[in-house]
Amino acid sequence: MNKMVMIICCAAATMLPRIVPYFASSALSRLPRFVRKCMLLLPVAALGALIFPLALTDFGAMWYAGLAGIAAAFIVSLFKGPMILSIVVALVSTTAMLMAFPA
Amino acid sequence: MHIDGKALKEGIRDGFPIFLGYFTTALAFGLLTRTSGFTFVEGVLTSMITFAGSGQFLMMNLYNAGSLLLSVVVSVFFINSRYIFMASSLSQRLSDPGSIPGRILCGFGTVDEVFTVASFKGHLLSYSYMAGLIFTSYVGWVSGTAIGFLGGTFLPEVVQKAAVITVYAMFASLLGSETRRGAKALLVASVSALLNSLLILAAGLSTGLSFLISMIAATIFGALIYTDEEAGIE
Repeated sequence: MNKMVMIICCAAATMLPRIVPYFASSALSRLPRFVRKCMLLLPVAALGALIFPLALTDFGAMWYAGLAGIAAAFIVSLFKGPMILSIVVALVSTTAMLMAFPA
Repeated sequence: MHIDGKALKEGIRDGFPIFLGYFTTALAFGLLTRTSGFTFVEGVLTSMITFAGSGQFLMMNLYNAGSLLLSVVVSVFFINSRYIFMASSLSQRLSDPGSIPGRILCGFGTVDEVFTVASFKGHLLSYSYMAGLIFTSYVGWVSGTAIGFLGGTFLPEVVQKAAVITVYAMFASLLGSETRRGAKALLVASVSALLNSLLILAAGLSTGLSFLISMIAATIFGALIYTDEEAGIE
Protein backbone atom coordinates (compact mmCIF):
# COMPACT_ATOMS: atom_id res chain seq x y z
CA MET A 1 0.00 0.00 0.00
CA ASN A 2 1.25 3.50 -0.81
CA LYS A 3 1.88 5.09 2.59
CA MET A 4 1.55 8.69 1.40
CA VAL A 5 -1.87 8.00 -0.14
CA MET A 6 -2.98 6.33 3.09
CA ILE A 7 -1.72 9.20 5.27
CA ILE A 8 -3.48 11.84 3.16
CA CYS A 9 -6.75 9.86 2.92
CA CYS A 10 -6.80 9.31 6.69
CA ALA A 11 -6.14 13.02 7.29
CA ALA A 12 -9.12 13.83 5.05
CA ALA A 13 -11.29 11.28 6.89
CA THR A 14 -10.37 13.09 10.12
CA MET A 15 -10.71 16.69 8.94
CA LEU A 16 -14.02 16.37 7.08
CA PRO A 17 -16.15 15.49 10.14
CA ARG A 18 -14.38 18.24 12.11
CA ILE A 19 -14.50 21.14 9.64
CA VAL A 20 -17.79 20.65 7.74
CA PRO A 21 -20.10 21.26 10.76
CA TYR A 22 -18.59 24.76 11.23
CA PHE A 23 -19.94 25.64 7.79
CA ALA A 24 -23.40 24.30 8.54
CA SER A 25 -24.19 26.64 11.43
CA SER A 26 -27.20 28.28 9.74
CA ALA A 27 -28.73 24.83 9.24
CA LEU A 28 -27.81 23.93 12.84
CA SER A 29 -29.54 27.02 14.25
CA ARG A 30 -32.76 26.05 12.45
CA LEU A 31 -32.83 22.67 14.20
CA PRO A 32 -35.60 21.99 16.73
CA ARG A 33 -35.14 23.40 20.22
CA PHE A 34 -34.60 19.95 21.75
CA VAL A 35 -31.76 19.16 19.36
CA ARG A 36 -30.08 22.52 20.10
CA LYS A 37 -30.40 21.75 23.79
CA CYS A 38 -28.68 18.41 23.13
CA MET A 39 -25.78 20.25 21.45
CA LEU A 40 -25.28 22.28 24.63
CA LEU A 41 -25.30 19.20 26.86
CA LEU A 42 -23.00 17.15 24.64
CA PRO A 43 -19.79 18.23 26.48
CA VAL A 44 -21.00 16.95 29.86
CA ALA A 45 -22.22 13.71 28.30
CA ALA A 46 -18.90 13.24 26.49
CA LEU A 47 -16.86 13.63 29.69
CA GLY A 48 -17.99 10.38 31.29
CA ALA A 49 -17.23 8.29 28.22
CA LEU A 50 -13.91 10.09 27.67
CA ILE A 51 -12.79 8.98 31.14
CA PHE A 52 -14.30 5.48 31.50
CA PRO A 53 -13.27 2.81 30.88
CA LEU A 54 -10.10 3.89 29.03
CA ALA A 55 -8.52 5.66 32.02
CA LEU A 56 -8.58 2.28 33.77
CA THR A 57 -7.87 -0.08 30.85
CA ASP A 58 -4.88 2.05 29.72
CA PHE A 59 -3.16 0.81 32.89
CA GLY A 60 -3.99 -2.84 32.22
CA ALA A 61 -3.69 -4.94 35.36
CA MET A 62 -2.81 -1.80 37.33
CA TRP A 63 -6.19 -0.17 36.69
CA TYR A 64 -6.31 1.05 40.30
CA ALA A 65 -3.46 3.48 39.48
CA GLY A 66 -5.72 5.14 36.88
CA LEU A 67 -8.67 5.17 39.27
CA ALA A 68 -6.57 6.81 41.99
CA GLY A 69 -5.49 9.58 39.61
CA ILE A 70 -9.00 10.32 38.40
CA ALA A 71 -10.49 10.29 41.89
CA ALA A 72 -7.75 12.65 43.12
CA ALA A 73 -8.27 15.09 40.23
CA PHE A 74 -12.05 15.04 40.68
CA ILE A 75 -11.87 15.71 44.43
CA VAL A 76 -9.38 18.57 44.03
CA SER A 77 -11.64 20.35 41.53
CA LEU A 78 -14.74 19.64 43.63
CA PHE A 79 -13.04 21.73 46.33
CA LYS A 80 -12.37 24.51 43.82
CA GLY A 81 -8.73 23.57 43.15
CA PRO A 82 -7.41 24.85 39.79
CA MET A 83 -6.99 22.36 36.94
CA ILE A 84 -3.19 22.36 37.12
CA LEU A 85 -3.36 21.33 40.80
CA SER A 86 -5.77 18.52 39.86
CA ILE A 87 -3.26 17.27 37.31
CA VAL A 88 -0.27 17.44 39.65
CA VAL A 89 -2.16 15.62 42.42
CA ALA A 90 -3.33 12.99 39.92
CA LEU A 91 0.23 12.45 38.63
CA VAL A 92 1.51 12.00 42.19
CA SER A 93 -1.35 9.63 43.14
CA THR A 94 -0.96 7.50 40.02
CA THR A 95 2.84 7.31 40.35
CA ALA A 96 2.53 6.40 44.04
CA MET A 97 0.07 3.59 43.23
CA LEU A 98 2.28 2.29 40.40
CA MET A 99 5.28 2.16 42.71
CA ALA A 100 3.46 0.87 45.82
CA PHE A 101 1.49 -1.89 44.06
CA PRO A 102 3.35 -3.05 40.95
CA ALA A 103 1.46 -5.76 39.07
CA MET B 1 -10.18 38.08 12.36
CA HIS B 2 -7.91 40.28 14.47
CA ILE B 3 -5.58 38.98 17.17
CA ASP B 4 -6.42 39.73 20.79
CA GLY B 5 -3.23 39.19 22.81
CA LYS B 6 -4.97 38.63 26.13
CA ALA B 7 -7.32 35.95 24.77
CA LEU B 8 -4.43 34.31 22.90
CA LYS B 9 -2.42 34.07 26.12
CA GLU B 10 -5.42 32.65 27.97
CA GLY B 11 -5.74 29.99 25.27
CA ILE B 12 -2.06 29.10 25.49
CA ARG B 13 -2.32 28.81 29.28
CA ASP B 14 -5.42 26.60 29.08
CA GLY B 15 -3.66 24.47 26.48
CA PHE B 16 -0.69 23.68 28.68
CA PRO B 17 -2.20 20.57 30.35
CA ILE B 18 -3.19 19.30 26.88
CA PHE B 19 0.38 19.92 25.73
CA LEU B 20 1.73 17.69 28.52
CA GLY B 21 -0.68 14.85 27.81
CA TYR B 22 -0.24 15.02 24.04
CA PHE B 23 3.53 15.25 24.14
CA THR B 24 3.90 12.06 26.17
CA THR B 25 1.31 10.17 24.09
CA ALA B 26 2.89 11.35 20.84
CA LEU B 27 6.30 10.01 21.94
CA ALA B 28 4.77 6.54 21.79
CA PHE B 29 3.17 7.31 18.42
CA GLY B 30 6.46 8.55 16.96
CA LEU B 31 8.22 5.39 18.08
CA LEU B 32 5.41 3.26 16.61
CA THR B 33 5.76 4.93 13.19
CA ARG B 34 9.51 4.17 13.17
CA THR B 35 9.08 0.53 14.15
CA SER B 36 6.34 0.21 11.49
CA GLY B 37 8.77 1.22 8.75
CA PHE B 38 7.70 4.85 8.25
CA THR B 39 10.31 7.47 7.40
CA PHE B 40 10.72 10.47 9.73
CA VAL B 41 8.88 12.71 7.24
CA GLU B 42 5.96 10.25 6.91
CA GLY B 43 5.60 9.86 10.68
CA VAL B 44 5.70 13.57 11.45
CA LEU B 45 3.51 14.45 8.45
CA THR B 46 0.83 12.06 9.75
CA SER B 47 0.67 13.99 13.03
CA MET B 48 0.87 17.38 11.28
CA ILE B 49 -2.06 16.88 8.92
CA THR B 50 -4.22 14.49 10.98
CA PHE B 51 -3.80 15.75 14.56
CA ALA B 52 -5.84 12.93 16.11
CA GLY B 53 -4.84 10.51 18.86
CA SER B 54 -7.00 7.43 18.54
CA GLY B 55 -7.45 7.78 14.76
CA GLN B 56 -3.69 7.76 14.13
CA PHE B 57 -3.05 4.75 16.38
CA LEU B 58 -5.89 2.93 14.61
CA MET B 59 -4.37 3.74 11.22
CA MET B 60 -1.00 2.29 12.32
CA ASN B 61 -2.62 -0.87 13.73
CA LEU B 62 -4.51 -1.53 10.51
CA TYR B 63 -1.49 -0.67 8.37
CA ASN B 64 0.65 -3.15 10.32
CA ALA B 65 -2.08 -5.78 9.97
CA GLY B 66 -1.87 -5.32 6.18
CA SER B 67 -5.42 -3.99 5.72
CA LEU B 68 -6.73 -2.62 2.44
CA LEU B 69 -6.54 1.15 1.96
CA LEU B 70 -10.32 1.50 1.81
CA SER B 71 -10.89 -0.37 5.06
CA VAL B 72 -8.25 1.75 6.82
CA VAL B 73 -9.86 5.00 5.67
CA VAL B 74 -13.41 3.87 6.49
CA SER B 75 -12.37 2.72 9.97
CA VAL B 76 -10.59 6.01 10.63
CA PHE B 77 -13.69 7.90 9.48
CA PHE B 78 -15.91 5.92 11.83
CA ILE B 79 -13.70 6.43 14.87
CA ASN B 80 -13.72 10.15 13.99
CA SER B 81 -17.47 10.44 13.45
CA ARG B 82 -17.85 11.72 17.02
CA TYR B 83 -16.23 14.94 15.83
CA ILE B 84 -19.33 15.72 13.75
CA PHE B 85 -21.23 16.16 17.02
CA MET B 86 -18.40 17.90 18.87
CA ALA B 87 -17.80 20.36 16.02
CA SER B 88 -21.54 21.08 15.71
CA SER B 89 -21.73 21.75 19.43
CA LEU B 90 -18.62 23.96 19.52
CA SER B 91 -19.68 25.94 16.44
CA GLN B 92 -22.63 27.26 18.50
CA ARG B 93 -20.25 28.86 21.02
CA LEU B 94 -18.15 31.07 18.72
CA SER B 95 -18.27 34.82 19.32
CA ASP B 96 -17.76 35.61 15.61
CA PRO B 97 -19.18 32.67 13.61
CA GLY B 98 -18.64 34.44 10.27
CA SER B 99 -14.88 34.18 9.71
CA ILE B 100 -13.91 31.48 7.21
CA PRO B 101 -10.23 31.05 8.28
CA GLY B 102 -11.44 31.08 11.89
CA ARG B 103 -13.88 28.26 11.25
CA ILE B 104 -11.26 26.21 9.38
CA LEU B 105 -8.87 26.72 12.32
CA CYS B 106 -11.48 25.58 14.84
CA GLY B 107 -12.40 22.58 12.71
CA PHE B 108 -8.76 21.57 12.33
CA GLY B 109 -8.32 21.77 16.10
CA THR B 110 -11.55 20.12 17.26
CA VAL B 111 -9.92 17.24 19.15
CA ASP B 112 -11.50 15.72 22.29
CA GLU B 113 -9.43 17.73 24.76
CA VAL B 114 -9.71 21.10 22.97
CA PHE B 115 -13.44 20.51 22.61
CA THR B 116 -13.99 19.86 26.32
CA VAL B 117 -11.74 22.67 27.61
CA ALA B 118 -13.33 25.19 25.21
CA SER B 119 -16.89 23.99 25.91
CA PHE B 120 -16.59 24.65 29.64
CA LYS B 121 -15.19 28.18 29.29
CA GLY B 122 -18.55 29.65 30.25
CA HIS B 123 -18.36 32.49 27.71
CA LEU B 124 -18.35 32.82 23.93
CA LEU B 125 -15.10 31.75 22.28
CA SER B 126 -12.96 34.19 20.31
CA TYR B 127 -10.73 32.92 17.52
CA SER B 128 -7.70 34.32 19.36
CA TYR B 129 -8.48 32.13 22.36
CA MET B 130 -9.07 29.09 20.13
CA ALA B 131 -5.83 29.75 18.23
CA GLY B 132 -3.83 29.77 21.48
CA LEU B 133 -5.50 26.61 22.76
CA ILE B 134 -5.15 24.70 19.48
CA PHE B 135 -1.60 25.88 18.77
CA THR B 136 -0.30 24.76 22.19
CA SER B 137 -1.93 21.32 21.85
CA TYR B 138 -0.69 20.98 18.26
CA VAL B 139 2.91 21.79 19.18
CA GLY B 140 2.79 19.10 21.88
CA TRP B 141 1.43 16.51 19.45
CA VAL B 142 3.79 17.21 16.54
CA SER B 143 6.97 17.73 18.60
CA GLY B 144 6.20 14.61 20.62
CA THR B 145 5.90 12.58 17.42
CA ALA B 146 9.21 13.90 16.08
CA ILE B 147 11.08 13.30 19.34
CA GLY B 148 9.47 9.87 19.79
CA PHE B 149 10.59 8.87 16.30
CA LEU B 150 14.16 10.03 16.85
CA GLY B 151 14.76 9.12 20.46
CA GLY B 152 12.06 6.66 21.38
CA THR B 153 10.39 7.11 24.74
CA PHE B 154 13.35 8.44 26.70
CA LEU B 155 11.22 8.97 29.83
CA PRO B 156 11.62 6.39 32.63
CA GLU B 157 8.95 3.70 32.41
CA VAL B 158 7.09 4.71 35.54
CA VAL B 159 6.93 8.37 34.40
CA GLN B 160 5.80 7.32 30.92
CA LYS B 161 3.05 5.20 32.46
CA ALA B 162 1.94 7.79 34.99
CA ALA B 163 1.85 10.53 32.30
CA VAL B 164 -1.06 8.69 30.68
CA ILE B 165 -3.20 10.04 33.52
CA THR B 166 -2.63 13.73 32.57
CA VAL B 167 -5.41 13.97 30.01
CA TYR B 168 -7.86 11.94 32.09
CA ALA B 169 -7.09 14.13 35.12
CA MET B 170 -8.01 17.13 32.99
CA PHE B 171 -11.37 15.57 32.13
CA ALA B 172 -11.97 14.61 35.78
CA SER B 173 -11.15 18.17 36.84
CA LEU B 174 -13.67 19.61 34.36
CA LEU B 175 -16.25 17.14 35.62
CA GLY B 176 -15.55 18.19 39.21
CA SER B 177 -16.17 21.87 38.39
CA GLU B 178 -19.38 21.01 36.52
CA THR B 179 -20.57 18.88 39.45
CA ARG B 180 -20.01 21.83 41.77
CA ARG B 181 -22.36 23.88 39.58
CA GLY B 182 -25.03 21.16 39.58
CA ALA B 183 -25.22 17.50 40.55
CA LYS B 184 -27.08 16.66 37.32
CA ALA B 185 -23.76 16.96 35.46
CA LEU B 186 -22.36 14.05 37.45
CA LEU B 187 -25.49 12.02 36.74
CA VAL B 188 -25.29 12.60 32.98
CA ALA B 189 -21.55 11.84 32.92
CA SER B 190 -22.15 8.66 34.95
CA VAL B 191 -24.64 7.43 32.37
CA SER B 192 -22.13 7.81 29.53
CA ALA B 193 -19.30 6.36 31.64
CA LEU B 194 -21.33 3.32 32.62
CA LEU B 195 -22.74 2.72 29.16
CA ASN B 196 -19.32 3.11 27.50
CA SER B 197 -17.73 0.70 29.99
CA LEU B 198 -20.47 -1.89 29.46
CA LEU B 199 -20.35 -1.64 25.67
CA ILE B 200 -16.55 -1.95 25.52
CA LEU B 201 -15.84 -4.41 28.33
CA ALA B 202 -18.97 -6.59 28.31
CA ALA B 203 -20.34 -6.27 24.77
CA GLY B 204 -16.91 -6.03 23.08
CA LEU B 205 -17.81 -3.09 20.82
CA SER B 206 -15.04 -1.04 19.20
CA THR B 207 -14.13 2.08 21.19
CA GLY B 208 -15.22 4.42 18.36
CA LEU B 209 -18.73 3.02 18.01
CA SER B 210 -19.17 2.56 21.75
CA PHE B 211 -18.15 6.16 22.44
CA LEU B 212 -20.57 7.48 19.84
CA ILE B 213 -23.54 5.50 21.24
CA SER B 214 -22.74 6.38 24.88
CA MET B 215 -22.26 10.07 24.15
CA ILE B 216 -25.52 10.40 22.21
CA ALA B 217 -27.56 8.36 24.70
CA ALA B 218 -26.27 10.38 27.67
CA THR B 219 -26.86 13.64 25.78
CA ILE B 220 -30.52 12.77 25.20
CA PHE B 221 -30.83 11.69 28.83
CA GLY B 222 -29.31 15.04 29.84
CA ALA B 223 -31.67 17.02 27.62
CA LEU B 224 -34.60 15.27 29.29
CA ILE B 225 -33.52 15.98 32.88
CA TYR B 226 -32.09 19.51 32.43
CA THR B 227 -34.46 22.46 32.18
CA ASP B 228 -33.89 24.80 29.21
CA GLU B 229 -32.47 27.38 31.60
CA GLU B 230 -29.98 24.96 33.16
CA ALA B 231 -28.81 23.90 29.71
CA GLY B 232 -28.25 27.57 28.80
CA ILE B 233 -30.55 27.67 25.79
CA GLU B 234 -31.71 31.18 24.89
